[in-house]
Amino acid sequence: MTKKRTGVFVCHCGNNIAATVDVKKVAEVMATEEGVVYSEDYVYMCSDPGQNAVIQSIKDNNLDSVVISCCSPNLHEKTFRDNAKRAGLNSFTCEIANIREQCAWVHKDRNRATEKAIKISRSAVRRAGRDQPLEPIAVPVTRKVLVIGGGIAGIQAALDIANAGLEVILVEKQATIGGHMLQLSETFPTLDCSQCILSPKMVDVSRHPKIKLMTYSEVKEVSGSVGNFRVNILQKPTFVDAELCKICDDCAAVCPVVVPNEFDLGLTARRAIHIPFAQAIPASYTLDESACLGLNPIRCGKCKDVCEVGAINYDMRPQTLIEDVGAIVVATGYDLYGQEHMNELGGGQIDDVLDGLQFERLCSASGATQGHVLRPSDRTVPKEVVFIQCVGSRDPANHCAYCSKICCMYTAKHASLYKHHVPDGRAYVFYIDIRSGGKGYEEFVQRIMEEDEAIYLRGRVSKLYRKDGKIRVLGTDTLTGQNVEIDADMVVLALAMEPSKGTAEIAKTLKIGRDKDGFLAEAHPKLKPVESVTAGIFLAGCAQGPKDIPETVAQAGAAAAKVIGLLSQNTLSHAPTVAFVRNSHCTGCEMCVSACPYNAISLENGKAVVNEVLCEGCGSCSATCLRAAIEVKNATAMQIHEMIEACLA
Amino acid sequence: MINIQDMRDTARDLLTKNEVRAVIGYRRSSSGMNAEPVVITTPEQADELVWDPTCFHNLSLYLVEDRKFLAHTRNNPGRPIAIVAKGCDARAIVVLMQEHYFKREEVYIIGMSCEGSGVLVERKLAANGIQATNASFDGDDYVFTTAQGEKRLPAREIMADRCLECRIPYPREHNVVLGEDKTGRELAEPFAALKRFEERDAGERWIFWERQFDRCIRCFACRSVCPMCYCEECVVDSISFPVNAQTTAEEKANRVRWIERSAVRSENITYHLTRAMHLAGRCIDCNECERVCPVNIPLRLLNNKMEREAREQFGYEPGASIGAPALVASFLDNDPEKFIR
Repeated sequence: MTKKRTGVFVCHCGNNIAATVDVKKVAEVMATEEGVVYSEDYVYMCSDPGQNAVIQSIKDNNLDSVVISCCSPNLHEKTFRDNAKRAGLNSFTCEIANIREQCAWVHKDRNRATEKAIKISRSAVRRAGRDQPLEPIAVPVTRKVLVIGGGIAGIQAALDIANAGLEVILVEKQATIGGHMLQLSETFPTLDCSQCILSPKMVDVSRHPKIKLMTYSEVKEVSGSVGNFRVNILQKPTFVDAELCKICDDCAAVCPVVVPNEFDLGLTARRAIHIPFAQAIPASYTLDESACLGLNPIRCGKCKDVCEVGAINYDMRPQTLIEDVGAIVVATGYDLYGQEHMNELGGGQIDDVLDGLQFERLCSASGATQGHVLRPSDRTVPKEVVFIQCVGSRDPANHCAYCSKICCMYTAKHASLYKHHVPDGRAYVFYIDIRSGGKGYEEFVQRIMEEDEAIYLRGRVSKLYRKDGKIRVLGTDTLTGQNVEIDADMVVLALAMEPSKGTAEIAKTLKIGRDKDGFLAEAHPKLKPVESVTAGIFLAGCAQGPKDIPETVAQAGAAAAKVIGLLSQNTLSHAPTVAFVRNSHCTGCEMCVSACPYNAISLENGKAVVNEVLCEGCGSCSATCLRAAIEVKNATAMQIHEMIEACLA
Repeated sequence: MINIQDMRDTARDLLTKNEVRAVIGYRRSSSGMNAEPVVITTPEQADELVWDPTCFHNLSLYLVEDRKFLAHTRNNPGRPIAIVAKGCDARAIVVLMQEHYFKREEVYIIGMSCEGSGVLVERKLAANGIQATNASFDGDDYVFTTAQGEKRLPAREIMADRCLECRIPYPREHNVVLGEDKTGRELAEPFAALKRFEERDAGERWIFWERQFDRCIRCFACRSVCPMCYCEECVVDSISFPVNAQTTAEEKANRVRWIERSAVRSENITYHLTRAMHLAGRCIDCNECERVCPVNIPLRLLNNKMEREAREQFGYEPGASIGAPALVASFLDNDPEKFIR
């Protein structure tokens, strides 16, 4: 070991560390460590005077490495490494000893906490003693972006990025973009028509020269890393040439297959060949292969016969496209928590018990009943409608623990829409409490209560069942302390939002984390709310957690801004703390190859080779290797060994 | 039942036709009842080969030795090498192939089914008061030639625990196989010995292991006999590592001394536990380590423990398929630990 000249700087972090750890003592003990030539403590090391003091000490004492005993490296490692660089050191010879989160904050006994802080600092000194100076790896950037999900979040992100001049590939699983927002009737709190405000954006997407739209497509594989991802996109066949299709409806008219229409959530039926709704983008019919009588061999063929423009092509096959992109925005949205989970509320088996989206389709002018609110079972006008909030939400014992955030507002909107359609009807709302934080939201709810005379009952519903053509609703009004029984014509459940089906799969494909509820995890709950844990992959919309439209649009814009910022650089700087192989020890067993979560290792001539651009330095390979043939720079087995020794000594 | 002559004919034929460059098998040792490993290279030597309850050795070790020799001499032999392999030995060969130590076409496997039997344990034989010059299979029995004439014992009484507990006494991976596939035979419950041991409480077990490891003299026989311990340099070696032309000064300086050389309890424990960890998902329970241990440390308990964990937690069967990923280098989507997903 070459003799190092290390400086140790112990931070008080105000009282955060100093209250539990005797920082002066830590600094004193560190001064006596082998290789340490300077040591001091300071109230806020990360402050400007603190950083300047570090620079001054580096220069005065001719230091070649520094250890900062402070908070987690997640917070200030970059600050102090940049600072070391300003003083002329290699930034990778600066190590952080975390004596706050891993010591001061989790202990009470001052003496023992101090002892531990000394050991943590000592282990960082030993690590720094073997740190090699490293230079960041420059990585070229692909100035193209993949947006996954064509709902309002994906549309907004794609438009914002494309307007900044970057190429965008927008991938949507369904046959049209628009997502759930397209299914909504009106939007709170202003009650403007959802389709009317969304469709201009959809048209913008379809006309934008920088946006390549891929509907009926799914992202199947993603490799590479920030700046240079390679994605495999599977485009399913629609069997209709979108360029030729005139949307004349002749094909659907002759199609003999009738299946539930998922766009109207089963309230209406569609044919096997169909268009989700009139303003679909792309404007084309789609032949649903799973519903069609048969394409191979052709069992029916009627649609093709009647198509005057010859748009129908039964020979279309799935196509896989490989695209290189520099960044990815994930906007895969939500689905409603299924009614089948709600056994106490009928489990989806009771007629005229609808979920929120079904009610939207009942109210929508383009919907199941052309905008007349009619109950599905007998198409009569419902006179008593019960709306139930928090169905499946805020119920950690049985369902989702979290608040789905938008249900208070959309239930108020539903009650309002209903009253506007059926002025002599009665709307009851069962609620736990009303969460109406948002511009104009509280006023909106108050208006529904006062002007639209919706009857708000604070309490839960215990049971629903059919009785004499009505739905008997058993509930409690906790404000009067009385049980309530209502014979309703229709019941609308404000079901919880959950991550859309396939979120788990896409998270795995992208190697990004999910939170305990299955939503995509942000890198930091406050400071990195649109970044995923993987660099270069950003989150927008309800895939990250329940949110309303304005919030979704804002988050999509934020994700777009992050992407634009990232890709405004010609090269990205990649941390050089990557894995390296000792050829003399490698036997080519390939365990590291399969252990690597980033596909950064391959085998060449029987030896492992690390792609430094892909390597994130996680150390999975090193932990897997039986022969210590692969290690991570500046976190070598030798360094880890010495750190352990320092902790145990 | 297997006719030894069939095995000899197979070996002779392979060597006569020059299809293989050698056959690794067993022959009668010059000094008594037990078989010993032999490498034959001429058809005439085929008659030396034997197959009996003393064929303990996991001969795949010699495939590793052969590979090391070839690598050292930079020799490309062209033809494969043949090996006589029991079910467990064949699984070891599969693990080595999983780890790309050699290719399938480089080895010709003469599979030997243990059928309803297995190898014997000398200790159990001695306890029966038998001193034999020869042992052979006969159905469910072992037959011994002794000074007092032929003696017959039910195989189950003196069979190795690992053979009694063996689930797959048949070499699934083979070029040719002799004997019937008796997979599913039940001589004893799998992991029965481990289960018996685990009935003791934790404190008692710890004392047991301390005593065991106190006896270890770190002769490394367990490591030397293990076909999975093929690393050029073992991570537990602190001083006497091989340094070749590729080893840089920096590598030498960064060599870690995880375990001290002295054979004391703490270092011995670290050695044996490290070895057990490194065998997780790789050990196929040939139990040669325990058989060769001069101080009788029951190493099988450690290896079995890892094997059972892998099996119960991850449904992992070591040596099941050449294409399967290694246990420690793969993870399942339904992993019980949430943090990994």
